Formats: sequence, structure tokens, C-alpha cells
Amino acid sequence: MFDWLQGIPILSIICYVPLLGALFVIFFMRSGNGASIRRFATAVAALDFVISVPLWFAFDRDGDLFQFRESASWIESLGARYEFGIDGIALLLILLTTLLGVLAFLSSWSAIDNREKEYYVFMLLLQTGMLGVFMAMDFFLFYVFWEVMLVPMYFLIGIWGGPRRLYAAIKFFLYTLVGSVLMILGILALYFYNSTGLLGWGGLGNERTFFIPQFHEISAEIPLDLQIWIFLVFFVAFAIKVPMFPFHTWLPDAHVEAPTAGSVILAGVLLKMGTYGFVRFSLPILPEATLQLLPWMAGLAIIGIIYGALVAMAQKDMKKLVAYSSVSHLGFVMLGVFALNTAGLNGGILQMINHGLSTGALFLLVGVIYERRHTRMIADYGGISSVMPKFATIFMIITMSSIGLPVLNGFIGEFTILVGAFNRVWWWALVGVIGIVLGAAYMLWMYQRVFFGNITNPENEGLADLSGREMLYLVPIVVLCFWIGLYPKPFFEILEKPVDYVVTKIDLAENGGLAVIDGRVVEEKLAELEN
Amino acid sequence: MLPFDPQEFLLLAPEIFLTVCALVLLVVGSIGRGLDSRKTAFLSLVGIAVTTGLLFWAHGQSNGLPILAKMFILDNFAFFWKLVFLIATALTILLSVRFIEEGRYRAGEYYSLILLATTGMLFMASGFNLLSIWISLELMALSSYVLAGYFKRETRSNEAAIKYFVLGALSSGFLLYGISLLYGSTGTLNLEQLAGGLINATLNGNLLATVGWILLVIGLFFKIAAVPFHVWTPDVYVGAPTPVTAYLATASKAASFAILIRILYQGLGPLVVEWQVVVAAVAGLSMIWGNVAALTQTNVKRMLAYSSIAHAGYVLLGVLAASEMGLWAAMFYMFAYSFFTLGAFGIVLLLERKEYAGETYSDYAGLARRAPHLAAMMLVFMLALTGIPPTGGFFGKVYLFAAAVEAGWTWVAVIGVLTSAVSLYYYMGVVVQMYFKDADDTTPMPLRAPVLVATLGLCAFVTVLLGLLPGSLVELARSSVISVGWNLF
Repeated sequence: MFDWLQGIPILSIICYVPLLGALFVIFFMRSGNGASIRRFATAVAALDFVISVPLWFAFDRDGDLFQFRESASWIESLGARYEFGIDGIALLLILLTTLLGVLAFLSSWSAIDNREKEYYVFMLLLQTGMLGVFMAMDFFLFYVFWEVMLVPMYFLIGIWGGPRRLYAAIKFFLYTLVGSVLMILGILALYFYNSTGLLGWGGLGNERTFFIPQFHEISAEIPLDLQIWIFLVFFVAFAIKVPMFPFHTWLPDAHVEAPTAGSVILAGVLLKMGTYGFVRFSLPILPEATLQLLPWMAGLAIIGIIYGALVAMAQKDMKKLVAYSSVSHLGFVMLGVFALNTAGLNGGILQMINHGLSTGALFLLVGVIYERRHTRMIADYGGISSVMPKFATIFMIITMSSIGLPVLNGFIGEFTILVGAFNRVWWWALVGVIGIVLGAAYMLWMYQRVFFGNITNPENEGLADLSGREMLYLVPIVVLCFWIGLYPKPFFEILEKPVDYVVTKIDLAENGGLAVIDGRVVEEKLAELEN
Repeated sequence: MLPFDPQEFLLLAPEIFLTVCALVLLVVGSIGRGLDSRKTAFLSLVGIAVTTGLLFWAHGQSNGLPILAKMFILDNFAFFWKLVFLIATALTILLSVRFIEEGRYRAGEYYSLILLATTGMLFMASGFNLLSIWISLELMALSSYVLAGYFKRETRSNEAAIKYFVLGALSSGFLLYGISLLYGSTGTLNLEQLAGGLINATLNGNLLATVGWILLVIGLFFKIAAVPFHVWTPDVYVGAPTPVTAYLATASKAASFAILIRILYQGLGPLVVEWQVVVAAVAGLSMIWGNVAALTQTNVKRMLAYSSIAHAGYVLLGVLAASEMGLWAAMFYMFAYSFFTLGAFGIVLLLERKEYAGETYSDYAGLARRAPHLAAMMLVFMLALTGIPPTGGFFGKVYLFAAAVEAGWTWVAVIGVLTSAVSLYYYMGVVVQMYFKDADDTTPMPLRAPVLVATLGLCAFVTVLLGLLPGSLVELARSSVISVGWNLF
């Protein structure tokens, strides 16, 4: 019933609807009219979500690796083209982006009360930038979106952030820019190696292109030393975004200072760019370097898990706690990705979605209570479950999802990651389990201090429970948490093919194509996947 | 008997016409009280437009070979640069209208000096002989010295003019001395023959030739304001009237790049391995020092001066590559750079009061509220200078880095990308003031100088357009590269 999607440039439409909305706001809406601007902007985000949902149904699970392809000429002299297309991984992340977009817009209604016009313009531009990153199949186009996205985020933190917003904003911008300017050198190295060659490495003599599948194609022909150089520059770019220890120091600042919606987008989507980068580029294009540097990557992931959890435990500020928990959770994702097997990658990617949902929700929840009391200190609360029962219930469900309780989404992700990690190196899984235990400790401890007991602070007695609008943006997340927790099969189905592809690439490098997956020799399988 | 066909003079119609325009403006301006700034500016723009028309005509007539006893050449390379100069000059004239008007300066002299400098640039781009290049360069430079001191009653402007003159004369001395040594060792000033002569001279271990080309190149580095020959730049850029600063940072710099490239690629082509080392060092130093020094500035105009030093370093990356891509990347960049640099100086100009006030960072506080359209345009210019999409500055930089990587100069490209990340800090300093800080005075700024604002709008539009669809400009730059008979590729 969704066949008609194949005939129209649906990805471009999804990508540019927020941009058009932003232009409309800039030129046709008066800045004094905050109420109609926020309604309009939210409507645009909602429309974008609605038109992105059919992708889920129309995506052919057994079809091509990349679907909904769009192709047009762009910069001919370089061979850069306007190429859009998505695989299962990108599809999930796009849906996450459009969904969190709507929720973040809804949450901004009461949180943002000054300079609304600029705020919603930047939020809409940010949506376009993020969606473009996941849709681009041309490395150059990808890079353009990757950098464009930094600007609106910079403004969101810098204008509507907390007291130390200026410092946090420029730190965020500088950190991520350093990563991305190095990445462009890596991209250029691949580009020239594929065509005319660079430095001491003679080129492959192919046509000049930035087409990502072309780089996948030549992965086996890139010499190991070049692979390692490129891997390292990509690593800096992606590791800063994830963020992996020791590149994480921008994250607590940015998260704590950003407005609620900014934090939601930052944690929910922006951090996934880094992990997405690893899965899309580092692993399949540079498999040999990946294997070579595997111990380092896994080591940093493990340090991130434990370090993030320990630091989170010591936090007095709820938002900071959630921020550091992100470091720990993203460490999990990286551990899964670098397990380099089907289970690990499946779990890692699903956990990207899970983290987007649960951490996004946690930031929304902290935002809800901050708007009422203007404090995020755990010590200022206590016993508020008696005055805010709905809030306490949803917070509990999300907490459970975050610490990986069965029936909820976090469990599925973390368990699959652990299976993958165990299959790669058994003690990785052991460390992972310690991380889960620590995660349960800091989350539950915070929950206990905020919600249980008697109300100690009289200011908390009159707190109002969740409003209808707040329920509207929290309940969808809860529903999704249960869906993934109870019936994750559709998600794994959609991930099957792209994950298979990456794993096969790795196996080809690891075992020279002799490994057997699903009863077939790797090379045979790769050929089948690629056409 | 002349050694050339007199009809070839016709091909110089654009240059001749522009000279006539400049002289006419000078005469008209000195009769009685002269024309006012608006009328003179309009006449100058008409002159530029006609010159551009003649340029297209002459370009169509030319066969791309040297003319007038091989003194000049009308190839695609020259054509591209001339377009850049004419565009930058036209934008400068548009920026100048108000400041001449408000300062009650004589309009005739000012515009005629700008046109004369531009004439010099047009000749520079076409120069095919070290002597004709040097004379055109002096025409440009002498006019610029006067322009830099145009605020006659301001000490800083006088200081700028004197400094510019003294150091400019010094660099001209370097140039001329280098030229004479090259002439002594090769017996020619023609760029084509110079290349052949240099092969012989260096084969025989001729020290004169080596000293000669190094002095020549140093003279040119002075003109493009590259480290360590940049010391005049900050003071001159800050002291000169802002439209003049904009002109020096764009048109004048572009013209110096045009002859630098012409001389390096054509005349010094055989010494490519030697000069690449020099250019790499100068490029690296310019990017590092220009950006680091800009970090500590509190005056926006001075910051832009240091940033223009850094940008000379970026363009040198393309020159360094000595490849087709390097060349068109440098040309693309100078084209795009002219728009966003003129734009940035235009905003500075618009906020200035009484000559120099209003130039510090804190004067930009709250601009996003007081004049949202100006703040938005400045944001575009700052992003372009940093090299963030979707602006022409982004593509320009990527092309330059790509050219350097392709040519094997990866370490210089690494310096380039890291220093562009550093530059984010001080460019965003302006944005922080405009968007994140509140001014004491929050009343909307009255819209003055509609011509100026429209010009800035045009600059911002082109900057963004080049950031979305750079293709056709790249094609133009590429076609301007291929036709030239360089000795390199």
C-alpha cells in the first residue's frame, strides 16, 4: 500500500520540510507572536514525523541494502553528487529523529519564553541537518550536513542555555569542529586513493567520486597503513561525537547548559551520529584497521562504561547525572559495535535507539520538574511521588528502561550487546555486567532520593502533576519502550541486512573470506548482499 | 617599424577605457565644488560596467597569446582575475558612497584613485613581462597608499598611509632588485623566456638567479600579506578608511595573488621543487600566526586584518599544490572570499560612528535584536570565513585542502584544518556578542544607508549561493586554468 513512496523523492521531502518551515517562520511570522510560531513549528515537526512513518512500512526488508534512492548531479568537477538513500540503520535513526523532534518541540512550549522566533527557526534547521546526515549516501554531502548541524545547536545552547552557556556552547562547537575538520582529510584520502592516488600510495584509478558504496567496495584494496591513518582521523571525529572517553568532556557541559529540548536532541540524536559513523564508515570501509585497533577501541568503550557510571553516581545535579549516564550507555553501544559480530552490532544499534528514547525521556522529565521548581539538585527534592504520582510512574518506567529491566527496551539492547561481547572476548561481557549493576545503582539511588520518603522540603508540597501536553510527549516514549521490550523482532528484522553486510565485511578481512555465515562462504554472501 | 601590430592596442580597450574614466572623474571632480559622492559613485559604476563589457569583448577577440611584444597576455586566467577585481571594485564603490558623503571628502579624487588602482590590477593580471608587471603593480600600490591616508585629519589614517608607503616601497625594492638579478643572470624579463633561462642558469649553479627569485618572491609575499612579511597589515588595515581596507583585503590581495601565481607557475616553473618549500613554510606560518594573533584582538577590524593574513595562508595552499586543482581552488577561493570579506567589512563600516568608534567586539552586543538582518548577514560572513557550510568559504577551503592533499602536502593541509578550527573561536566571538549578549541600548537600529545594506545583502546572498551550488563557478575557474600554457602541468 505504500508503493507510491518509491516514485517520489520522499527522503528529500522529509529532510527539507523543516527547512521550509524555518524559512516560512523567518519571512512570514512576526517575532512578537510566540504562540502561533510555536504552534506552527510544532505542526511542521509533527507533519515531518507523519510523512516519515510510511518509510517504516514501505521499506523492503528483503530488498536492496539502500532504498528510496535519489540521485542528482551536484558538483561535477569533484564528482560529488546529491545522493540520498537509507538502509535499515538509517531508517531507524530517521524515525527516532523525527519522533524526538516532535516531542522536543512540544516540551519547548513552556520552557522557552524569550526570542521564540529564533529558537524555533534553529530547532527546525537542526532537524534538517540531522536528517540529512542519515540520508546522505555521498560522503561530501554527508560532511556538509554534518557540519551544518553544528551551527543551530551552538545557538540553542548559547542563547537559551543555563548560566555557563557561553562556555558550553563554544566548547561544544570547537570540540566537534576539530573532529570534523580532521574527518574531511580522511574523506579526501579515501577519495584520492580511489582515484589518482595520494602520497606514496598509488591510486586505484577509478572515477572520482564520493559515493559511499564505492568506498565500501574498495575496502579490501586499501593497504593497512593507509587504513589505520584514515581510521584514526575518523575515530577522532566520531569519538568526539559519541563521546568516547577521553573525548567526553564537552558533553556534561553542553548537556547541563542546554535547554531541555536541546539536551533531548543532543542525547537522542546527535550522539548517535558518532556511533552511526563507526558503523557506516569505519567498520565496513576500514575493516582491517578496525581489527588491528580493536583492543584500543574496546578498551576505551569499557573505560567509558565504568567511568561514566562512577561519575554519574557522584552527581548531585539530576541533569548532570543523566549526562554522565550517557557516557556510560554510549560506551555500551560502542562495546556492542566493536564486538564486530551480528549480535553485538544488532544490540549496539538497537541500544542507540533505546538510549535515544530513554535518555531523551529522562531529560524531558528533568525538564518538567525544573520548570516547576527551577532547581535540578537531587537534595532539593524528596518524597515527591506523593504529590506527582503520574510523574513518578513515568519516571520509574523510564528508569527501568534505562537500567535494562526485562520487559523494557533497555534489556533487549544490553542483553544482545553482552551476547555479542561475550562471543568476541568473554571478559568484555563481564565488565559490561558490572556496568549494568553500577547503572542500576545510580539510577535507583537517584530515584529513591527524589521520589521516596516524606516530603522534606515544604516548597515541593504544591507541585502540580503532569499536564496534558506533558503526557502527550512522554507517553509515546513509554509505549515505544514497551514495544521494543516485548516485541523487538521487527527492529531486528530491519537491521538484519545492513548488520549482515558490515559483519561480512569484517569477516572477509579477518578470515580472508573463509568464514561461514548462514551456511555460505563469506564472499558468496557479500556478492549476494551487494546486488 | 614596431615589433608588434598596433591593432593589438585595441585588445587593451578595457584598461584604456578605465584609465580614461579615472581621469575624467578627476577633472570633473576638481571643477568648482565637483559632483557629490552619489553621482560620482554612479559614474564610476557605469565605468566599471562598460569596462566589464569591453573585457568580455576583448576576451572574445583574443587568441590567448601574448600581445604587444609579449608584454601582456589575454588568456582565460587573466580574464577570471579581472572579473574578480572588477566585482570587488564595484562592491567597494558601493560601500564607499556613505563614508565619502558623511566625511565631506572630495568624491572625484577618491573614486578616480580607486579606478586607477583597478586599472593597475587589470594590467597586473595580464602582465607577461616582469617589467610590465612591476609597473602595473606600482600603479596599484601608489593609488592604494593615498587611499589608505584618505582620512586626512585622522592620525591613525596618516600613520597607516606612511607605514603602508614605507613598507610598500621596501617590498617594491625587493621586487625590483630581484627582477634585476634575474635579468642579469638570464638576460630576459619575459616570463616565457625566463623559464628557459632559469633552467640554464640553475644548471650552472648561478647564485644570482637563486637570490633573484627569492627576493622577487619575498616582494610578492609582502603584497599578499603573508607571514613573516605581514607586519604592515594590521596597522594599515585598522587605520585606513574601512571601505579602503575592504578593497585592500580583497581586490588588492587578489591582484597580488594573480601575479604571484603567474610568476611562480610561468617564469619560475622550472624551480617548482625549490619554491614549493618556501611557499609551504610561508603558508604554514601565515595560517598559524594569522589565526593565533587574531584570537587576542578586541577590535573587529583588527581581527579581520589578522584573519586576512591567515586567509593568504589558505590560498597559498592552492598555489603550493602546483596542480590544476590547486590553481582553480585558489581562484575559486579568492572569488568567494572577496564577497564575504567585503561583506564583513561592510558591517564594520555600518556600525562605525565618527570614523573609528564602534569597532570593538562589545559594540556588536545585542545586534541580533537591534538589527536582525544585519546580524544574520554578519553570521553568514563569519561562518564563511570559518569555512562552515552552507557558504562559499566552506567549499573554497575544502578545495584548497583537497588540492594540498592531492599534491602530497598533507602536513600543510593538517595545519590548515586545525587552524580553521582555531579561527572558529574568534569569528564566533562576534556571533556571541551579536546573539548571546544584550546591549544596554535595545532600541531597533534605524535603517540607514539602504545602498550599503543592499550591497551587503548581495554579498551574503552570493556567499550562500556559492555554498549550495558552487558548480558553475568551479567550472569557470577550471576553464581559466586549463587554457594557460603553464610550464607545470
